[in-house]
Amino acid sequence: MPDALARLNELETGAAVPVLDVRGMRKAFPGTLALDDVSLSVRRGEIHALLGENGAGKSTLIKCICGAYAATAGEVFIDGEAVRIADPHDATEAGIAVVHQHLNLIPTLSVAENLWLGESLPRRFGLIDWGRVHARARDILARVGVDISTRVHVDELRPDQLAMISIAKAVSSDARIIILDEPTTALLPHEVDRLFDQMRRLAAEGHSFLYVSHRLAEVFAIADRATVLRDGRNAGVFERETMDRARVVEAIVGRSGALADRRTASHARDEVLMEVGGLTGDRADGVDFMLRSGEIIGVAGLPGSGADETLNLLFGRSPASGGTIAVAGRRLKLRGPADAIGAGIAFVPKDRLAEAVFHAESIRANVTLPSLSRLLREPVLRLIHHRRERAAARETTARMQVRMPGIETAIDDLSGGNQQKVVLGRWLSTGARIFLLNSPTAAVDVGAKSEIYGLIDDLARSGKGIVFASTELEEYPVVCDRVFVFSQGSIVGELAGAALTEANIMTLAAGGEL
Amino acid sequence: MSSTPAPSPAAPGPGFDWIGFLSRWGTIISLCVLIVVFSLGRPEVFMTLRNMFNILNQVSILGMIALGLTVCMVVGLFDLSIGAMATFGGYFAARFLMELGMDGMGAVALVIILVLFLAAIIGMINGALISYLGISAIVETLAMSFIVTGLILGVSGGRTVYASDIPDAFKIIGQGKIGGVPNPVLILTGLAVVLLVFLEHTQTGRNMYALGGNREAARLSGISFQRYALIGMAIAAACAALGGIVAGANLAAGRPQGVGETYLLNAFVAVFIGASTIKPGKFHVLGTAVGVLLIGVINNGLSVMGVPTFWQYIVQGTILILALISANVNAIRRA
Repeated sequence: MPDALARLNELETGAAVPVLDVRGMRKAFPGTLALDDVSLSVRRGEIHALLGENGAGKSTLIKCICGAYAATAGEVFIDGEAVRIADPHDATEAGIAVVHQHLNLIPTLSVAENLWLGESLPRRFGLIDWGRVHARARDILARVGVDISTRVHVDELRPDQLAMISIAKAVSSDARIIILDEPTTALLPHEVDRLFDQMRRLAAEGHSFLYVSHRLAEVFAIADRATVLRDGRNAGVFERETMDRARVVEAIVGRSGALADRRTASHARDEVLMEVGGLTGDRADGVDFMLRSGEIIGVAGLPGSGADETLNLLFGRSPASGGTIAVAGRRLKLRGPADAIGAGIAFVPKDRLAEAVFHAESIRANVTLPSLSRLLREPVLRLIHHRRERAAARETTARMQVRMPGIETAIDDLSGGNQQKVVLGRWLSTGARIFLLNSPTAAVDVGAKSEIYGLIDDLARSGKGIVFASTELEEYPVVCDRVFVFSQGSIVGELAGAALTEANIMTLAAGGEL
Repeated sequence: MSSTPAPSPAAPGPGFDWIGFLSRWGTIISLCVLIVVFSLGRPEVFMTLRNMFNILNQVSILGMIALGLTVCMVVGLFDLSIGAMATFGGYFAARFLMELGMDGMGAVALVIILVLFLAAIIGMINGALISYLGISAIVETLAMSFIVTGLILGVSGGRTVYASDIPDAFKIIGQGKIGGVPNPVLILTGLAVVLLVFLEHTQTGRNMYALGGNREAARLSGISFQRYALIGMAIAAACAALGGIVAGANLAAGRPQGVGETYLLNAFVAVFIGASTIKPGKFHVLGTAVGVLLIGVINNGLSVMGVPTFWQYIVQGTILILALISANVNAIRRA
């Protein structure tokens, strides 16, 4: 009876005092204000969603709460008490636990060892007492109701089991609030269901979650409340009863889109450059479309939806398991990127620094690499004609408006935007007619962005066909003539003209209907 | 077109960029300083044309092996089998000539080409195992060095092929001179020029640098890792075998063991000193040549000065560490 009373009491105060309360959070980076007076509160036993586009400030907010960043201003309260968070250790002390997208587990260690990570293992006679290690690990898993052997190595587990082990770790540290940063990215639908069942049960026991996700459908399935951020500011808080898809999407994308800049005139001509039929791979299924000369097609979707994968399949970067690709009426057999390049396809990958730039090499070497065959003295020894190579590098960089001291400057010394122009320019002299561009404006400043949009438009004007993908949905209406929206590996809709809006893309991508 | 320079993190500030200067020229400066010191110390012995050729002759075998290693390091692949491959080249060239029992340039040239070809095949097997199966180059080439060593011991029964069984035309390769210059030095120079042109002035070389710099970006530019891993490992193995052949010709013996091992680690030292010379962080022929010369000058100079041998190791190790530090300082500043 006293127990029940205490619990009732706790529930009442819990309702009044939020477990996590963030007030007036500001975070300034040189040149930008990433967070501007952001507030957020999570109640006890609640699953609270944090929503927003890329760059809206979600990750910055999480990083400020868990101590990875020092906030410029703002307060954090745990159970009504102000806590000072200067580094990750402070956050852990205060009862804040974060389960990252890339789970912070060590794959080659056992489940038990991972659950003990960061603590010294119990010893007996100077040796590790494995009996106690496993006994406590079993207790921890039992508390969250997970049935996994503590002796299995973590790399043998399913993604949803990994997420649960991270959650178990957080629960065992008596965390007041567990922050889940995109935990479902690597999960299959039935694994997501299993994870959600366990989260609901833990929430019912009084554990509180802050859940960061792109996937609206999941948010509607699990969240009790949702906070939306846009451009570093609060853009609305929704209770479960008022959480309606159209209103949430509107809050996420905002009304004031870049409508003035949206693409109006298409350069599309009649000639078909590429025909894709039933293209299927690991994460894409039955993709069909036709690309005309001068046309800019967008492929959009959430991470893992198949949009990125379609570009990889078209370039022979990922192996296709079925379907056909025909360029200028000739069917392609792609064994790798070299075959795609031979067929006149160019590719700009998503991660410029890891996948596109040759570090410590000159701009010249970076820009001429795929077209060197055209700049040789003779075809046997393949001696490079240096004068022609320099001329080609100068011509391309001029056409791409690369701002640089000279073509012999190391590419690392250029700004992100100028590096990207070099990467894009690489393909101008290979004779490519089809350009696959994945997030060509990622990590590029605003001025360079519009220059790159202009360069893409120039390519289309000169008759090239372009397939474009971006992590920022607002770019699609600006860049593309029409957009295919992907969800779970397949095209779920095609948008063009007035219907091509950020909100419509978001709705379709999240599995909704227009 | 605008010529406004982009803001650059490595832009030299006011005053002279000492760190940048030392990381590029430090190894060459140390080479010059050592030459000056040894010349002042024993002017009558060290700084003579005879001794200069002597140094070059002493390092020529190491140079050939190190230059070959440079090529596979450019693609980003270690080769620990070069020691065994040098022994392979020296032993089998002598053994084949003994079995053939013929004298004359023709037979010698034929045998050398055959041995280099066999070495290149072994290198290609290395390249294929590494690139198609994704095995670590270090471990694979270490394993291959055991296999090759075992093969040589098995075929030879541990017996050396002696000078009496080796034609004179073969010994000339290691012992003769043309215009006062020892043949090994001429071979080394020729090899260096060929590899310099190959790496820096052909598309093949450029593609190899691209793969070593960023393998994924190179793949997305249509460059096949498999193909260039094969080429790079074949060249490394053939160069090591060439070094072994010249060593065998010089000794006038085909020894089944104890030839290549001495060169293995020094070749790596030379290549890494090279990667901190002129172009920090890049493996290149000129740098390797500086590394090889540095090792030769240290060893020759210290022994000419009568300094105990152990100092050679200490000085060599210290210079390598300093070279790596200076190259690293530059890389960190760039990041």
